[in-house]
Amino acid sequence: MIPLDINELFLVGAAIFVVLAIAMFYRAVAGPTTQDRLLAVNVLGTNTVVILALLAAGLDQPWFLDVALIYALLNFLMAIAISKFTVERGGVL
Amino acid sequence: MSLVGYTLAIFVIVAALATAMFRDVLSAIIVFGAYSLGMAILYTLLLAPDVAMTEAAIGAGVTTILLLLTIAKTTRPTTDRLFESIDVPALFVVGAFVVVLGTQVLPEMYAVGDSEAPVWSNPEVTQAYLEQTYEDTGVQNAVTAVLAAYRGFDTFGEAVVVFAAGIATLLVLKREVFA
Repeated sequence: MIPLDINELFLVGAAIFVVLAIAMFYRAVAGPTTQDRLLAVNVLGTNTVVILALLAAGLDQPWFLDVALIYALLNFLMAIAISKFTVERGGVL
Repeated sequence: MSLVGYTLAIFVIVAALATAMFRDVLSAIIVFGAYSLGMAILYTLLLAPDVAMTEAAIGAGVTTILLLLTIAKTTRPTTDRLFESIDVPALFVVGAFVVVLGTQVLPEMYAVGDSEAPVWSNPEVTQAYLEQTYEDTGVQNAVTAVLAAYRGFDTFGEAVVVFAAGIATLLVLKREVFA
């Protein structure tokens, strides 16, 4: 069975990325150090941007891209805040 | 809801459980970020992009920094165990609550996009709002008009609650200004 519709291909891609998100979530929970967890969640955030973009293309809803854009802009904030917190032991901003 | 939706729902539930169970608070904050990511995709899938945008801005940005600021001011107990041990009586109470909700409340709710739902079975109400909103309130966006004008007292009450919470925080901290 070959999905002829290009939109279905986008949706299948989104489903694959969701499965990959679960793989990264395993690292976020199991990861022995804080750095492992932080990196896993950061990759998860990038993954989310890709999933949202694929869903926007697959479901023909271009305004999904707005949410993807906000995530792309804010994804680094958490990584920087936690990195600063672990290095300086308290300074966040 | 599609297969993607169900997978995401399971992902979000597992992330929430992990957040609640982690003994190390910093790890819990990080996993809470993963929860927020899943929630944003779910909201988008359910065609609520405004809620998803709020979740993206609050979950990815503000919440993490607020929680980090909080644990920076407090002590973080070092621990050897990864997960919190389960409180059996509390688990029993929560389990009973979930069972009651699942068997009594969920069957009564309408499915997403159900044509029997009150929103769709009374189209004249929807139409009346769409037609009269601009004359009544002078606001062009109907959703904004409902939130800020028709439900104005409700929104005002919410603002009062936030204001009261801020005042209470200042009282507890014995300060006169924020920052």
